[in-house]
Parts: sequence; C-alpha cells; structure tokens
Amino acid sequence: MENKVLTMPAAGLDTDLLPVRGRVVKSKWTRDLLTFLMVFGPGLIVMVADNDAGAVSTYSQAGAQYGTHLLWIVLLLLPVCYFIQEMVVRLGIATGKGHAAMIYQRFGKWWGLFSLVDLQAVNFLTLVTEFAAINLALSKMGVDPRYGVPLAAAGLVLLVLTGSYRRWERTVVFLCLLDFAWFWIAFRLGPPVGQIVKHTLAPSMPAGGITADLMFLVIAIVGTTIAPWQLFFQQSCIADKRLRFADVKWARLDTFLGACVTITAAVCMMIAGAASQAHGFRFTDPAQMAADIGTFAGPLMRNLILLMMINAAVLGTTAISLSSAWAYGEVRGWPHSLQLPWRQARGFYSMYLICVAAAAGIVLIPRAPLQLIILGVQVLAGVILPSAVIFLQLLLNDKELLGEYANKPWNNWVNWTIIIVLFILSLILAAQVTAPNLFPSAVGGPTT
Amino acid sequence: MGTMASPLDLETRNETRKDHFVVVHPLDDVPETKVDTESLGPMAMTRSVRFSLLSLRAYLILMVLLVVYHVVMLAR
Repeated sequence: MENKVLTMPAAGLDTDLLPVRGRVVKSKWTRDLLTFLMVFGPGLIVMVADNDAGAVSTYSQAGAQYGTHLLWIVLLLLPVCYFIQEMVVRLGIATGKGHAAMIYQRFGKWWGLFSLVDLQAVNFLTLVTEFAAINLALSKMGVDPRYGVPLAAAGLVLLVLTGSYRRWERTVVFLCLLDFAWFWIAFRLGPPVGQIVKHTLAPSMPAGGITADLMFLVIAIVGTTIAPWQLFFQQSCIADKRLRFADVKWARLDTFLGACVTITAAVCMMIAGAASQAHGFRFTDPAQMAADIGTFAGPLMRNLILLMMINAAVLGTTAISLSSAWAYGEVRGWPHSLQLPWRQARGFYSMYLICVAAAAGIVLIPRAPLQLIILGVQVLAGVILPSAVIFLQLLLNDKELLGEYANKPWNNWVNWTIIIVLFILSLILAAQVTAPNLFPSAVGGPTT
Repeated sequence: MGTMASPLDLETRNETRKDHFVVVHPLDDVPETKVDTESLGPMAMTRSVRFSLLSLRAYLILMVLLVVYHVVMLAR
C-alpha cells in the first residue's frame, strides 16, 4: 500500500479554517478501510460505555440467579439498541447538532427543559453509582477508596482537558477494547458451549416461571441496555466529530459493531454470574462475585473482574458526564467541543468537572444513601427513556428537518414496536410498585 | 508513505482518479453545510405529533402519580 498525506487549502472558505489534510491511497478497499477507521469511535464508545457499572451488576446478577436462561433476552436487545442508536446517527449527521438542542428547537422550551432536567438528574444519580462501583472494587482490591476514588475522578477530568477530540476518542476506544477481557473471563469460567448456544438462540423460561424477581430483572436488563443518555451522547459526539453525510454508512457500521461487542460482553458477564452460582455462591454485588470467583478460579481472575468493573465505571462516567456537559452547553449556547481548550469552553468543561467531582464526593461521604440513589436511577430512567425515544422517533419522521434521512415506513414499524414494548415494560414496573403481589414470588431460590 | 503538500481544490479531491483516492478525517475536512434547524422553528403539530405528545403527557402524569402513591405507602 502506498499511502500519501496531502495538505490542501479549503477552497472557497474562510482563511482562518485549517487546510484540509487528506491521505492518498491507491485501492478502493484501502480507502474504505481508512474511511471507516476515521469515522469509527462514537458508535463503539456509546455501546461499550453502556455496559457501565450498573450493567455489570445487572447482567452478573441475572447470571447468578437464572444461570444462562436469560441469554436470549440479551440477544433480542442487539437489534433494539442498534435501531435506536442508528436513528441518532442520521439525526446527528444531518443536523450537526446535539439531541438536547434539537428537542429545544423542534418541541419548544417546555419539553426542552423537561428533557434536560430529567437527563441531568438521571445522569448525576447514575454517576454516583459508577463511583460507588469504583469504591467497591478498589476496596476489594485492598486499595483505600479515599485515595483511589479522587484519583479516578482526577484522571477522568484530565482525559477531556487535552483540547483534542481525537486524543479523548483514542484513549476511550482503547479502554473500550479492554472490554474484550470479558470474553476471556467467560471462556475460562463458561459452562459448556452447547448450553450457551441453546439458551441464547432458543428462548427458555427459568424453572419457577414468571415471578416478580424475574420480571424486575428483565426490566432492569432492558433498562440498562437502552439508556437515555446514549441518545444525547452519540448525537453530540457525532456533531463534535463533525461526521459528514458521506460517513453515514460507516457510522452505522461503527454502531452495529459496537452493539455486537456490548451484547457479547453482556453475555460474558452473565456467564461469569452463572459460574459463581454453579459453585454455590449467592449474588450480593459484582465485587463480591469477583471475590467468590477468585476462590475457585484464582486471584488473577478475581482481580481481572474487579479491574473490568472499574473500567466499566470509568467508561460510563466519561460518556455520561460528557452527555450532560454537551446537552447543557447546547441549550445554553456555550461553546461545547472537546476540540476547544479549557479557556474557550469553560462552561462546558466546568459542567463535566462538577458532574465528576460531585458524584465522586458523594460516594466518599460515610453512610451515603446509595441504595436510595440506585432506586432513584431506576425510577427516573424509567420515566425518561420512553419520552426520549418518542422525541427521537418524532424527530426522525420530521421530513422538513431530515429530508431523505427521515425514517422509512419499515423503520417506523420497527421503532414503534420497540417504543410500545418499552412502554409496556415501564407500566409493568409501575404496576409492580403499586401491586407487589402482581406476580408470584420466587420459590426455592435460584434456578439453573 | 509520502507527504504531498501541493494545493488541490475540492473538485480535484472529490473527482477521484481511477488509481488514487483521497481520504480525509472528518475533523480535518471542510465543515459541511448541515440542515438549517434555526430557520425551521418548532415542529408542525400534525395529528400524529399531537397524539404522541398527549400520550407522553398522560404517561408522565401516571408515572408521577405512581411514584407519589409509592412514597405515601412507604411513609405509612
């Protein structure tokens, strides 16, 4: 391959713009690969960051309680998360603006403010749970969280302060690729491949049938796989990276690959939970699960799971804090780009800093009501998700806004089906809250 | 891999020759003209948009009532 780098002035544009820097390649195949690698990033990051600390906890709990029986539900979520994020890709590329800005402009101040406040609240509470996970994992590793948590927070702030989107993206993509360690963990701990394939491809119900615990866990799995911040994050990320109309197909591929990685990692987390259950351990939290697994798989495995838990929390924190900072910056009209240095985007970076610092600070408060915060995350996420997806669906049907990038009829069929299922799950959750005996309680403990 | 610094105009870049292609990173590229969202104003309230927003309001009111109910029950 004989590649060249060329620099040329941006014809017909302001002279203060950077000259176009391109790479000359000889084959079509190389051109496509290189273009994909340049566009690659937002899709993978949003999907892998979605497997945050809460997701590690939910998936491993599902494995610990129901073995590999719920793997098929995770597989069903692959097209769901792809189709939702694919809409965000089109919207971001066509408008070059973030999701919060679009809701403000197209639905008015009231809905704009509602979405923003709800997003900020649920994001902040989620951030607290991320730092709680870092705290938990560090404690299990013998590191004093009083030093470890502030250090992690400082690292997360420094990550965005380089004034270069590319530097941030490369670092975060590297952290995302570390998620492949879950594959090795599952491979080492995993039950027979035949059982995994069977429970992934053939829907089956755990012994005991539909119980309140099972319903709650299924809703938690759906809720953790499709989170409201993802819509805001990916659209702003695409706008910040300035993806072009020609990049749509590569951004879709990026999103699809990201969805495949995140779903496979989720399956691996469930397998790890199932392995601890198979050895007779009862699930309390993922850090304890790592310690339990360490007793039969060795200290290396224990530390690896704890490190992956920290990595998940770090990825979740940077993505969620950025989605908050981008959304706030868009609505306030502040400069809001990772390409800008601190002095040119003080409001944007301050928002990120406040999110990270406050969440880390709360976790370090002795006897902070973390359980109440986790409940708050679930309630708020349940409220915001269907509304965020409805706004997305309406925006994607806005032909005046998107023209040829608007939804096709088949898109609408798929998306309305997803929205209806999400609403039904939210209503089941609400019904369970008001009528706790709606579904029978589990009898006889976990099933295999 | 060599470096080429000769200026080229956009037409030359886009008009890829049979054996040469130019690949530009989005951040190094000339900013594209996007949809002018500012001039569009608020979304037209068609029947489906109105119905969706109304359903959303009903859903939100229901959720808030359920949360309030749950809090009251817990407080008892």
